[in-house]
Amino acid sequence: MAAPSRARAIEQRRITSLEVLCVVLVLALLAQGPLIRMLDIPAVRTGATVFVAICVQATPFLVLGVLVSGLIAAFVSPLALRRVLPRTTTAAVPIAGLAGMALPGCECASVPVSRRLMQQGVPPAAALAFLLAAPAVNPVVLVATAVAFPGEPRMVAARFLGSMATALVMGWLWARLGRPEWIAQRALRRPERPPGRSAFAVFTETARHDMVSSGGFLVLGGLTAAVLNVLVPASWMASLTGNMVLGILVMALLAVVLALCSEADAFVAASLTAVPLLPRLVFLVVGPAVDVKLVALQTGAFGRRFASRFAPATFMVAIACGSLAGVLVLGATR
Amino acid sequence: MRRETQNVLLVLLGGALCKIAYNGSFLRYVKPSLLPFLICAGVVILSLGLISIGRDVRAGRTVTDHHDHAGRSTWLLVLPVLAIFLVAPPALGADTVSRSARAVAPKQPALALPPLPAGPAPALRMSDFVTRAVWDDADSLHGRQVRLVGFVVHGAQDSTYLGRLVMACCAADVTSVKVRLEGYRGLAVLPQDGWFEVQGQVIPGSAKSNTRFTPTLTVSALHPVPVPTEPYEF
Repeated sequence: MAAPSRARAIEQRRITSLEVLCVVLVLALLAQGPLIRMLDIPAVRTGATVFVAICVQATPFLVLGVLVSGLIAAFVSPLALRRVLPRTTTAAVPIAGLAGMALPGCECASVPVSRRLMQQGVPPAAALAFLLAAPAVNPVVLVATAVAFPGEPRMVAARFLGSMATALVMGWLWARLGRPEWIAQRALRRPERPPGRSAFAVFTETARHDMVSSGGFLVLGGLTAAVLNVLVPASWMASLTGNMVLGILVMALLAVVLALCSEADAFVAASLTAVPLLPRLVFLVVGPAVDVKLVALQTGAFGRRFASRFAPATFMVAIACGSLAGVLVLGATR
Repeated sequence: MRRETQNVLLVLLGGALCKIAYNGSFLRYVKPSLLPFLICAGVVILSLGLISIGRDVRAGRTVTDHHDHAGRSTWLLVLPVLAIFLVAPPALGADTVSRSARAVAPKQPALALPPLPAGPAPALRMSDFVTRAVWDDADSLHGRQVRLVGFVVHGAQDSTYLGRLVMACCAADVTSVKVRLEGYRGLAVLPQDGWFEVQGQVIPGSAKSNTRFTPTLTVSALHPVPVPTEPYEF
């Protein structure tokens, strides 16, 4: 009897995160004046607004993602998923890519869902194809693209082709070259379901856990994007009218650092009237596949070793697929 | 981080979303049509936190393992909570306009522009005004007084502009429009970022590529206005 009570005594003496949180909140309250005074610096104020905006804009989509993830964990058995998907990974990749059309959200929603799919036994290659396809080819994003480019209906087709190709190529590349140990073990471990727990309890616990574990990374991504948004000189845009290759590269980098929601990026691309169409298409293909916010979320979901390989590869493949789709659908490099 | 702390953070985060949805300050950050999604997200996050607090309380002392190794990243959730509750950053303004050198022409309207509304000085959206000044072949602005609402931006060489930001989805994707103000005393001492309604007449041919498609307005009257509930144009 002595040992547990001593353990409990130690437990009671240790400072827990709850107390730390309380201290943080009290300190922040006391420092409210200086905090607000910091906003007198215009660049800090702009950064703070952009940061809150990205968080506020992305949270509903992250919530959608964790809810879908929770529903899959509670109600879709691994067996049912295996029955739906083709047996070979090569064939499962395009099916998963097409399934991405059914998740009407932006990239923040697809990260928790694709991780849940992996945990439920879907081959990683197929889950990754879903991860890349879902934010770019769903109807909401395609309609937004059509609205943003009223005079250029071929932009929608080109975007669909480029993004789908990126997703499939990356899926097949992973099937061929990917190593399971690159994905953090915690990402693939299925949460054990205690006997007697209701489906509703599994649903809420999974959603809660996903929200907590990916929310922090969303904030990290939002913070990075806000800082870059303030620091990246706008004169980048001015240099884009001449050289097509340079234009494609700069627009691809811009897609990564701006971290726009895939439902909004078409409007931004449409407003850059000085830039030719092809670099703008690459912007639309790269953005939903890889940006700073997404890399942060992927690091959280699948681990650093995964993200450090997957993100650069996706960046290259997305530039190639976007350019190719542009040349094929839009014709010459206008 | 302990499970209890995570739950408290979720309640705070959900509460923060509900707060900005309720008091309307979400319009500083995102477009109006996001409101229902914002409310849903806030309520869902709030309930996820409350449900698991309730579950833990009911389970009482039988729950032994309170440690949930979600990592240190969860602490970052404190940042948006603090930013919303304590700082509440204002809508973007003059700093963003001066920062964006995107001197591109507004998109050419697909259809011919309708004539200006009747009346002595119709109110126009800033973005419509600039589009008309750049593209309107029928020259609908010629000889007409118009009213514009925006904030003051002081530029290089004592130039004063009226600026406004156009949002697609959230404040990370805004593009700026601005109109140069002239011909009115005291323009140079107007407060940066102060909101004004300006009445005036465009100088024909002032919105060309050499002025970076920024029209010039000869101001005949101006008076301060409160910050609009929708600070952005869409």
